[in-house]
Amino acid sequence: MSTYDLSEIERLIDGELPWTRVQEIMKDAKDADRFEKWVAILQKRVPWKEKILLPLTTALFIVRKGRQRIVKCRCGHEFGDYRVNWKLSALIHVRETEEQLREVYRGTEQPDPSWIQIREYICPGCGTQLEVEAVPRGCPPDFELLPDLDVFYREWLGRPLPDEVELEDKTLEAIRSWRTGGR
Amino acid sequence: MSPKAKATRRVKASAKAGARAGARRARAGNGRRRPSLREQLATNDRLLRETGHLFGLEKMRRKESDPGTYEAVWQILLNICNTAHAVGCRVSSSPIAAEGGDALWSLHLPTGEAICTSRGIVSHPGLLSLLLRSYIEAGYEDDPGIRPGDIFENNDPHFGGIHSADFQTTVPIFWQGRLIGWAGSVTHVMDAGFVLPGSIGFMNPDCFSDGVPVVAERVGENDRFHPWYEKRMRSRTRVPDWTMGDARGRLAGCLTIRDRVLALVEKYGLDFFEDVAREYIEDSRRYAVSRVRTQAVPGRIRKSGFKDLSMKGKRVLLPEQDVDCLFNLPLEITIDRKAKVGISLRGASGWVPFGENITPSALVSGMLNAYSHVVGFDMFNWGAVAAWKLEEPPAGSWANPYPANYFAASGVAWAPAVVWMSFLYEAFGRLYWARGFVEEVAAGAATTMTAEFSGTNQYGLYTAGLTLEQACNGGPARGIADGETSAWCIYTPNADFGNAEVSELYYPVLYLGRNVEPDSGGYGKFRGGLGHTAVWLVKNTPGIEYQCGCAGIRSKVCGNHGMFGAYPTWPDRAAYASGTNLKQLVEARRPLVHERGDPERPNIARDLEAKLVEPNLVAPFVTQGQLHEWDLIVHPVSGSQALGDPIERDPELVRRDLDDGWGRARTASEVYGVVARFDEKEKRWEVDVPATERKRAERREERKQRGVPFRDWWQQEREKVLARENMSPAVLEMWRSSMRLSPEYAAELRAFWQLPDDFTF
Repeated sequence: MSTYDLSEIERLIDGELPWTRVQEIMKDAKDADRFEKWVAILQKRVPWKEKILLPLTTALFIVRKGRQRIVKCRCGHEFGDYRVNWKLSALIHVRETEEQLREVYRGTEQPDPSWIQIREYICPGCGTQLEVEAVPRGCPPDFELLPDLDVFYREWLGRPLPDEVELEDKTLEAIRSWRTGGR
Repeated sequence: MSPKAKATRRVKASAKAGARAGARRARAGNGRRRPSLREQLATNDRLLRETGHLFGLEKMRRKESDPGTYEAVWQILLNICNTAHAVGCRVSSSPIAAEGGDALWSLHLPTGEAICTSRGIVSHPGLLSLLLRSYIEAGYEDDPGIRPGDIFENNDPHFGGIHSADFQTTVPIFWQGRLIGWAGSVTHVMDAGFVLPGSIGFMNPDCFSDGVPVVAERVGENDRFHPWYEKRMRSRTRVPDWTMGDARGRLAGCLTIRDRVLALVEKYGLDFFEDVAREYIEDSRRYAVSRVRTQAVPGRIRKSGFKDLSMKGKRVLLPEQDVDCLFNLPLEITIDRKAKVGISLRGASGWVPFGENITPSALVSGMLNAYSHVVGFDMFNWGAVAAWKLEEPPAGSWANPYPANYFAASGVAWAPAVVWMSFLYEAFGRLYWARGFVEEVAAGAATTMTAEFSGTNQYGLYTAGLTLEQACNGGPARGIADGETSAWCIYTPNADFGNAEVSELYYPVLYLGRNVEPDSGGYGKFRGGLGHTAVWLVKNTPGIEYQCGCAGIRSKVCGNHGMFGAYPTWPDRAAYASGTNLKQLVEARRPLVHERGDPERPNIARDLEAKLVEPNLVAPFVTQGQLHEWDLIVHPVSGSQALGDPIERDPELVRRDLDDGWGRARTASEVYGVVARFDEKEKRWEVDVPATERKRAERREERKQRGVPFRDWWQQEREKVLARENMSPAVLEMWRSSMRLSPEYAAELRAFWQLPDDFTF
């Protein structure tokens, strides 16, 4: 089983390793402690103290805050319970006319706005473009990753998290509350 | 005695022994009746169910006791399959096989499971495995019987094929009268006898137009094709010399495998061969499971996806084809505590009156292809299939058409399936990211547009065939770098678009360009590898048709989403011009058209005079009539998806792309937020870093200002959904069929928008 220095993993993450070395790492048996090093590196880089439970994207993390598990941006903006699609708490900008699409796609490269809209999900805290969807009207936003954190920590990593929670997609519950006036 | 003579003697001896066995089933060494193949299949299924291990192999006896020989024999088997590939492609001589290597040879257990495969098209081992299984389940062991020297073949999707251009040939391997395995091969022929020329039958309205059928049948004996098989190919395919060349190539490769496997068995013994063959397959399953367990995360991954097939107003064959279609291709993956992967297509839209429907068994094979790219690629064989389970796709959908229409066409069944299975890149990319294996992360894949020509070639002969441009897309952006440009292909690890000069020998065209297409890999922190543009001048022909075909394109909609905030690649549009002034331009030594150019004023429209210019054609399509001397075609091949917020892209990478002509000034400024200027003196771009930082900070603020809270948008959008505002008929019909075929999916969609229980589009 391979193992790598924290500094080498850091250089790998930052794209600073020579391609030949990256290929060696890709071909070798994977390092069993990668997740711990990955989280340690990312934890060092964010300006907040909540413990990272799982990185979701280049900007978003599931973190422990008190007894809660929430989605948090690297800038510190919080999106709420990780079992609710974080997009419900994001800003959204939709391109659905030729003029709006033109800022990105022009002429022969432009999609047909009666077939597809471009949805940009923006962090209210830092303005990072977190995800982009190209979907027809009517498509609910993708809830890309709903991890089973308790199985992951308890059974795959062998160190259970305190306060286990039920794995359930709570997005529709949140939506239902909008119709009844809840936030 | 020469090795060849030895091999011949071995085969003859084996065949003789097989003949002696006759209809009598061979007996095991202890005198008991050997289980039938059907019984062996049932046992295999039971053992997997009861033990969780293929063939009940809780211990890998051979691997553990002698790992060196175990690995050495695997390498020998790989070598055997790759030798078959080399032999088969050379015998074949068709450009698809000989120049592009679009083929595969493989070795299988008697019950069908692929043990080892050659290089080439990695979707086919699963197809062959399931085809052999179907022979056994249909009782072929007793009727018509399986004998040494037999050649079985199929290309019918009803009985295990994917689309009829892919011919699947299998040859049994006997050792001392006993079936010990199969050699198999699939090649993609140049013309399958579809209603229109070629092998990408997107236009086929039903299976009756799906070309020459070979229906799970014995097409030869004693290592020779029956004469009536060749007669059928000659009367029902348009380029029979190539079709028969492919058939002989498949057979030559299969016989190569058979002879060399028999030599291997002679050296290592039958017991050893049979043990390791099964252990290699179980090893592959274990690898796939282990990779998920050690590099992914349990839970649920969802990804929506769409693919257009816009045919309204175009040349079609039947009135019902004058329609625009949008495919719904939803992917849901669940990973349980044991790292077992479940894959669902719940919500898939309905079957279409074109050749873009696929069967569930072909889809399993397609998913094995995708799995081989991103999850289970060590000792690639059938084993990875046992690491996941594909839920039966909705009955009546494009992925399971026969319950609704048994005569649905599958001329290019691959088209929606390849888009759907390519979503595995992003899905597993997200999982690998979460776990920290950034070097394994890949964003979404490219789209696959094909080009076929039919008509009289430069030698005065009729020709029909596929170019290989689509076999060199740009590769997906990686977690730590841009994707590779023109070096990747979804259906084969051996991306190769062949030599332009060789293509010019096969088709009456000259390449005026084969250029990397700037900005064709989406826009992101890391962009996808770039695609390219082929520009063809029609030459030395009285006339040819150009089919801009669909093997997984998107032309009305974007090719996928972006990942982690990137913008997706644009839709692919082709162009052509006829009655041009190119001859005069050549004679006057004036500039010609070599690339696509400005999307708002494409070179084909800007630089040519012509009777007809079509600069922005939604694909797929067939030219309205023939193209002639000096006509021009501009054929795009896409790049793959990008990853990350574009304004986080290193300005130096943007500058390099500008210098290389791989990025454009407008997108550098407006999409990447980079302030750069061209230094006329130094002939290079320079980035103003402080100005770029200011511009990007302003861009972030602009985003926050113009973005609206999701809930506010949701309320407005809900009204538009209810009013079906600005939704094309294709979109509406897609939602209708998806909701009709998958009630659970419909319920969730209604719940998300808080729509009435009886709401439909």
